[in-house]
Amino acid sequence: MRTNRIIERVLDHGVAPLLLVPSVVLLFVILLGPFLFMVWTGFTDLHYALPNRDGAFVGFDNFRRLMQDDPIFWHSFWLTMKFVFGVVLVEFAFGLGLALLIFHYIKNHRFILTILLVPMMLAPIAVGLIWKLLLSGDFGMFTYYLRAIGLADLQTSILGNPSLVMPAIMLIDVWQWTPFVTLVILAGLLSLPKEPFEAAIMDGARPLQIFKDVTLPLLRPIIALVLLLRGIDAFKEFDKVFILTGGGPGISTEMLSIYTYRINFRDWDLGYGAVCAFMVYLVVLIMCSVFYKAVYWNEGRSKMAGKAAA
Amino acid sequence: MIDISSVGRIVRSSATVAVVGLMALQGTEALAWSIEEAAAPYRGTTIRTVGEALPPLEAMAELKSEFESRTGITVEIEMYEHSEAVNKVMLDLNSRRGRYDFILQPHRELGRFVANGHLQSVEGFMSNEDLRDPSFMPEEQLYQGLWKEISWYEGQVYGFPFTALTMYMWYRDDLLNDPDERAGFEAKYGYELRPATTWQEYTDIAEWFHRPDEGFYGTALQGKRHEALWYEWLNFLYSFGGDMLEANSGSECGPVVVNSPEAVASLEYYKSLLAYSPADSLNYTWDEVMALMQQGKVYQMIMWNDATYAVAEDHEASTVAGKMGFDIVPPQENGEAVGQVEGWTYLIPAGSKNQEAAYLFIQWMMEETQQLNQHLNGGATARPDVYAHPDVQAISYSQASMDTNAAARPKPTIPESPQITDILVRELSIYLSDGKSAQQALDDAAVEMSELLGDCAPLKFPVE
Repeated sequence: MRTNRIIERVLDHGVAPLLLVPSVVLLFVILLGPFLFMVWTGFTDLHYALPNRDGAFVGFDNFRRLMQDDPIFWHSFWLTMKFVFGVVLVEFAFGLGLALLIFHYIKNHRFILTILLVPMMLAPIAVGLIWKLLLSGDFGMFTYYLRAIGLADLQTSILGNPSLVMPAIMLIDVWQWTPFVTLVILAGLLSLPKEPFEAAIMDGARPLQIFKDVTLPLLRPIIALVLLLRGIDAFKEFDKVFILTGGGPGISTEMLSIYTYRINFRDWDLGYGAVCAFMVYLVVLIMCSVFYKAVYWNEGRSKMAGKAAA
Repeated sequence: MIDISSVGRIVRSSATVAVVGLMALQGTEALAWSIEEAAAPYRGTTIRTVGEALPPLEAMAELKSEFESRTGITVEIEMYEHSEAVNKVMLDLNSRRGRYDFILQPHRELGRFVANGHLQSVEGFMSNEDLRDPSFMPEEQLYQGLWKEISWYEGQVYGFPFTALTMYMWYRDDLLNDPDERAGFEAKYGYELRPATTWQEYTDIAEWFHRPDEGFYGTALQGKRHEALWYEWLNFLYSFGGDMLEANSGSECGPVVVNSPEAVASLEYYKSLLAYSPADSLNYTWDEVMALMQQGKVYQMIMWNDATYAVAEDHEASTVAGKMGFDIVPPQENGEAVGQVEGWTYLIPAGSKNQEAAYLFIQWMMEETQQLNQHLNGGATARPDVYAHPDVQAISYSQASMDTNAAARPKPTIPESPQITDILVRELSIYLSDGKSAQQALDDAAVEMSELLGDCAPLKFPVE
């Protein structure tokens, strides 16, 4: 009896944590370990290119340099923030609109979704190369038609013009990722319960009222999720910009990930580069916590409303 | 009793015999040196290298099979785009993995590698009689200036030039000799159409041939934020009498002079050429302008000697093969002709596990036969005897290459030089995209370079 009880206790409490060990070790090796190493590197002067910079502890020097003495970092930071807010808002607006259109007016979702998802399925490098060719001033199809309709002349270069290049990159991102937003919101719409909509119709609500008071609140977790995923992804944007412009002309498209890459893998200033990378992590962490709160705030509100009704 | 004098005689004659015998033996060894015997201890070894995916490396890939069959040493070659080839090596050297037994790298990386103890000097191999081919005499067989600049650092030899590169002027010889073009040009500008001999002529010619509505351009600048921009501007900088640092060799630090009046004038002139360059010029590197020339869309440009073959000689890849002319970069009015030294060099990492086998391959590649073959297939040799070969003399761009090599100036190879390049690329790109004035861009670059280099590099032209 006693032996059985011990086995039961081990099974109840002992084996479960043991089974978690491989996952925890894996997480440590591929996530936490490198992250901690990056944080530590940020406190050193490690530099692969310069002699006598072999990783000595320098305290907060790199953080101080970042905060006080690096205008290009802050240019890149604000450029990235503008990019994130710009593309995520436009993608959300288009994605929501498309999802509602498909949900209400198109019966064969599968076919239209397959077509829509093509840009999203392309590798970012391929997207960069395709658009580089399309926007080429010499033979680019996009530039050719812009000239044909009088929106560009022979001297117009979209990727070479500092005032046009960033909007162009944002439009490419919208082209690539709006289908993803559409897909997620459409999945959310398809999974919504019918009862609240039937009740609203019975109460005589107009379509706009139903959308505002029923659809949107019910979709809130889905919307928060898609905004979070797109926000994080847009913040890390690298491949397309690297292929299209390499951060130029000048520093007009030097987003944070491009700048961080340059510090780490062009200058090999790994101590300072780690601090730049840490900032990227910090911003993503803040974005995650804000959106996470938004989701749980809604759930909390629903629970409270439920309790009050009871 | 032993007669001391007879012992002395015996010792002396024995010593003489021994010395003569040794000399004879050495002479026989020298005569008998062969790559097969030298490589015998390394038979079955595999050596790996990495370099830029361009015709010179492709030519090496073609040649290596002969070395492999003669020595039993296998040579594996990894080819990447310029920056990727540099990054792969940096990661390998710093991780001390020793993946590469020898590497092919731009010479401006030399200081960085040496200062961090990543390289093995080849001096030891060159004095090793088992390895050194007695017929290989780089002290006599290479352009000494190029060898010292490309493969030496602070008086130590680390390798041999893989390519001795430089940039010169490319132009359309067929259009230059077109009677209608000549007559029209002379009527407008008052002098005969010829390869530009001054920058004013370069501008006039670019303006004359600039016909964007016909898809043809006077010139093509490499204006993307990329190393190509820096390399191209250096031709203008040197020609206008400017420089980056005031130093006598690449491995020396010195006062920063990149914001001198000459440098500012060169940058302003460089930008003025955008008016005769395709609209997309701020997104071009050497790849794009080379493609434009191959398609016959540009009259003239400043370009690399290792890219010339694909445009001037390769009839399958180029629509203008056989129609091109080449000349040294124009000097300033009454100025002297200048060019830039650039090169990729063979180097042996300190962590290489097969250094001797790697040395044997490098030494074999430096032989005249291989150098000639590589040069004729798009290489850029540092051997004068190869340039003297009739087949090489017959190549349309040989003279321009030789003239520019003779006038080529060194550039920094100190550990900070790649960062100097990065700073200048950024500032040049900002200026080209109207973000700053030329003076402001070069002042900002000068301040940053001076801070990076420290005490050895004060500002020669103070910034307000």
